[in-house]
Amino acid sequence: MKKKIISILLAGAMAIGMLSGCAEGVPQAAPAAGTGEAEAAKPEELTGIDAIIAEAETMSLEELAAKAIEESNGKTFYGVGNSSRGKSALPVFIEYLQSIDPNYTMEFEWQQPKNNKIFEQLTSDSLKGTGTFAMTLIQDGNQIQTKMVDTDILKTFVPKEWAEAKGTTPDAYEGFLPLQTLNKVFMYNNTGSATYGNCWDFVAEGSHPLFMGVDSEIVGKNFLMMLTEDKYAGWLKDAYDKLDDSKKAYFDPVIKEVEADAADLGLGENGKYALAWIKLWVNNYNEQTDDGPICNTLVDASATDQSGLLVYSKLRSVEESAGVSVANVNVAAYDDGYTGIGGYGYCHYLFLTKNSPLPWTACAFIAYMTCTEEGFDAWGKDMGGYSSNPKVAEAIESTYHHSEGGGEEFPAKNDRGYDWWTGEGQGELVLEDPAYCSEVSFSVGSWIDVLDHYSAE
Amino acid sequence: MNEAVKPDKGAIFKNKLKTWFSQPQNIILLLFGIVLTFSTVAPIVAIVEDTFKIHPGTIDQHLTGKVSGHTIVNYIDLFTSKLAKTNLWIPLMNTVILSVLTCAISILFGGLFAFLVTRTDMKYRKYLSSIFIFPYIMPQWTLAVVWQHMFYSNKITGTSDGLLASLFHVYFPNWWCRGVFPSAVVLGLHYAPFAYILIGGIFKNMDANLEEAATILDTPKWKIMTRVTLPMIKPAILSTILLVFGSAMGSYPVPHYLNLTTLSTKYISMNSKYTGEASILAIIMMIFGVLILGVNQMSLKSRKNYTTVTGKSGQLTKISIGKAGKYVVGIIFIVITFFTSIWPIILFTLETFLPNPGDYSFLYTRDVSHLTTKWWITNENVTENGMYGQPGILYNSTIWHAFKGTLLLAVACALIAGTIGTLIGYAVSKKRRNKWANYVNNVAFLPYLMPSIAVGAAFFILFSNEHINLFNTYTLLIIAGVVKYIPFASRSSLNSMLQLSGELEEAAVIMNTPWIKRMTRIIIPIQKSSIISGYLLPFMTCLRELSLFLLLCTQGFILSTTLDYFDEMGLYAFSSAINLILIVTILIFNTLVNKLTGASLDSGIGG
Repeated sequence: MKKKIISILLAGAMAIGMLSGCAEGVPQAAPAAGTGEAEAAKPEELTGIDAIIAEAETMSLEELAAKAIEESNGKTFYGVGNSSRGKSALPVFIEYLQSIDPNYTMEFEWQQPKNNKIFEQLTSDSLKGTGTFAMTLIQDGNQIQTKMVDTDILKTFVPKEWAEAKGTTPDAYEGFLPLQTLNKVFMYNNTGSATYGNCWDFVAEGSHPLFMGVDSEIVGKNFLMMLTEDKYAGWLKDAYDKLDDSKKAYFDPVIKEVEADAADLGLGENGKYALAWIKLWVNNYNEQTDDGPICNTLVDASATDQSGLLVYSKLRSVEESAGVSVANVNVAAYDDGYTGIGGYGYCHYLFLTKNSPLPWTACAFIAYMTCTEEGFDAWGKDMGGYSSNPKVAEAIESTYHHSEGGGEEFPAKNDRGYDWWTGEGQGELVLEDPAYCSEVSFSVGSWIDVLDHYSAE
Repeated sequence: MNEAVKPDKGAIFKNKLKTWFSQPQNIILLLFGIVLTFSTVAPIVAIVEDTFKIHPGTIDQHLTGKVSGHTIVNYIDLFTSKLAKTNLWIPLMNTVILSVLTCAISILFGGLFAFLVTRTDMKYRKYLSSIFIFPYIMPQWTLAVVWQHMFYSNKITGTSDGLLASLFHVYFPNWWCRGVFPSAVVLGLHYAPFAYILIGGIFKNMDANLEEAATILDTPKWKIMTRVTLPMIKPAILSTILLVFGSAMGSYPVPHYLNLTTLSTKYISMNSKYTGEASILAIIMMIFGVLILGVNQMSLKSRKNYTTVTGKSGQLTKISIGKAGKYVVGIIFIVITFFTSIWPIILFTLETFLPNPGDYSFLYTRDVSHLTTKWWITNENVTENGMYGQPGILYNSTIWHAFKGTLLLAVACALIAGTIGTLIGYAVSKKRRNKWANYVNNVAFLPYLMPSIAVGAAFFILFSNEHINLFNTYTLLIIAGVVKYIPFASRSSLNSMLQLSGELEEAAVIMNTPWIKRMTRIIIPIQKSSIISGYLLPFMTCLRELSLFLLLCTQGFILSTTLDYFDEMGLYAFSSAINLILIVTILIFNTLVNKLTGASLDSGIGG
């Protein structure tokens, strides 16, 4: 019966496939991030949104603001993003424009779609002559690369002042424009006796860290795929080497088991360590709906010995009570002698849409968020989000002192900053690389898809 | 000279046409036949087309090496790849098990309750009847969240301790906490009011003479139950299955919160990288909807065997369950409904005063100073005081904006779906043996049998293109809601219209009374109770619908998506407050309608 159903479905599918004409297919041509656009056309040949971006990249924030006032006075600005804080940043941006022209007004609407819908929303909006959304603030470099950039739906604008702060120029800069890097870090409840002195301890026997499912938040899967990149596989190998023999004995059969897969997938010499860690992680993590519930769980005194990988900034919202305290958790990477990766970092990227109805205003807003402390304040006021602009990051730290946010009472909240988190032998954050993720999405990614997921007995 | 007068065929045709159009039921059937064919078939066509489309950045692009065009690889990959078991067969099996169990639980629980309320002398019937429908009023996954708060424990689920574990050190096994069992119980409780209303309606109107005759003939009670009573309520059981099976199958949030992989949850998780294959899952769910409709058609034919139930009995006698029994059973149900209906509301209220989400430490420290009003009265989102950057409920513009949007949506859907459904019910009852009328009746009912998540997906695909882009607009939500909820009104209208004798309207026709007047002065007033139910049900369902609207708007657009967002984020104070807002709103509307018209959801059953 099953076979019959399959054959009927396949036959139907084939018939429609033939009727609809597979000849419509367009050969794939996908420039990698930051390479294709620069080569596509000379500045003087650019038209439409590309020409505006090219011109905007030569202008200061003040000049862009003047253009924005001219363009959007009295109009409505639509933005869409994975972060709800775009909604808080927009009124501050409008105030900034009003400080230049007191008569300036702009309505705005900020949407935050759920369940990966942002990509479908942007794709369908791109089909219009003039789109609804002026810009987007979006995460998941892998899907951005394959669904948004390769398809020319989103356009990167690099503000002049931002590039200068990074010691480069908009023309020379390659890649997407990040607003900030966020980190998800390993934490554990310290009310018991469990210790996590090595990143391999999180995948050791009996360990079931709390984690958002790799299918519900794709950046989590990007993290796993990034582990197979040579640099991070090397970090895992180094951490493995520091394990004692009894622990190694537990991991060795798994490493051996995936050795052939690592070769088949074309990974580097340490690829097998990455695959083994990934396999054990997927086999053992305890899936939760969001980082919020994970944080609520870990800070509870009853969650003895539980661990998790979650957005660091969630700790900011814990209110001390009889049963709940930030003091109940340790950030693993802050522990003396901790070895290996401390978590992973991913970016919120800024883009214009290809059919942006208010391109100058979008450029000005992007420049404002990336080049000024006030523009980044909606995100900067909290720990665990690091401006991509070093000058802004410095200003934010001197205003909010996140590095001392928890004091001696709550050391987990003393944010050690981007440089520490990304440093080798320090936080060892695994950083998302959109190009690498999209490259291995259907090799390593598919390998991850077939792994068994944990289900408590 | 003697040429026979030839009939003017054109004139005859014109006259026929004129006569045909002079009957409003014909116009209604023609118009809605066409509109509903489009509104039902077009989304299906769109989603079928999507299964063949190449989506950039997904598996079909990877497998074909093309960025656009059409292909069959999605079918091949879904059915034959290494992931077939994970992505298709296990979710399919879980979905069927969940739907069957949900039907069983809702029928057993709702049916037993209906029997006790209508056919026995159980005490506290009126109170129990009102309270029993509460789980249907509440968004279905809120019971799932309550389940988590009650039964989860560090020892078993690897989380923090729930209430029972922290207060009494009682640890429930994993099968009780997560997976198919809790999902089926939660959905079964949610849909039990369906069974109660449908089965109770028949019990209430059932001719007791049959049972009395059997009693006189000294037939054992179990035999009366199995040979007389149960066969008579079989149509109601089938109707419940019809309504509950599709609803359970399309439920996304309950299995999502209780860790069960079904076709609905798989649809969402596959949608990013396996977009075309996810659409095939939606098609599979739709096929179940069509199959259920087919089974219903067959069961309608077989109902001819039960025509011994005729009209209302004036001799409905209540079975005595004993002097003590009537109190004991009543109290047992008061306790059960306390946990299914009242306890969640208490927990929701409490949650809005806890210092942290799920932090019930004040219970074991017995220190109420740990409670806080911050979730209600904080009027800014600048200082970080454990509010996750949100202003308090009273000042939270997202919540109140969503509330307004939800009211607009629910009122619009109720008015449009209620009116269209009433007209269809009227027209179909007038042409009950007409094939086109049957077709219109079925095509209007089909969307209800299709899982909500699949209908939502189909509407998203249909209305997101270069010609028309309605994502995140009330227009799209209203269209989807109307199409989905017309059956509520059409079925209740059809059933009531069939009870009306044609003579009533014919008398008015003879008096040359216009159709509008016939409807507003005769037909609607007579059947107002059923017709108002046809408006009330879409209204109530729309208020807390998630699966249907999940894919069609952003999270702050309506209350249910906002509530789901807060629940997923673990901000239970906000989601609990939204629950309370929803429950109070529905109760206010239900009471208002009840006072004004005498109609309500459980009207006429609870005595």
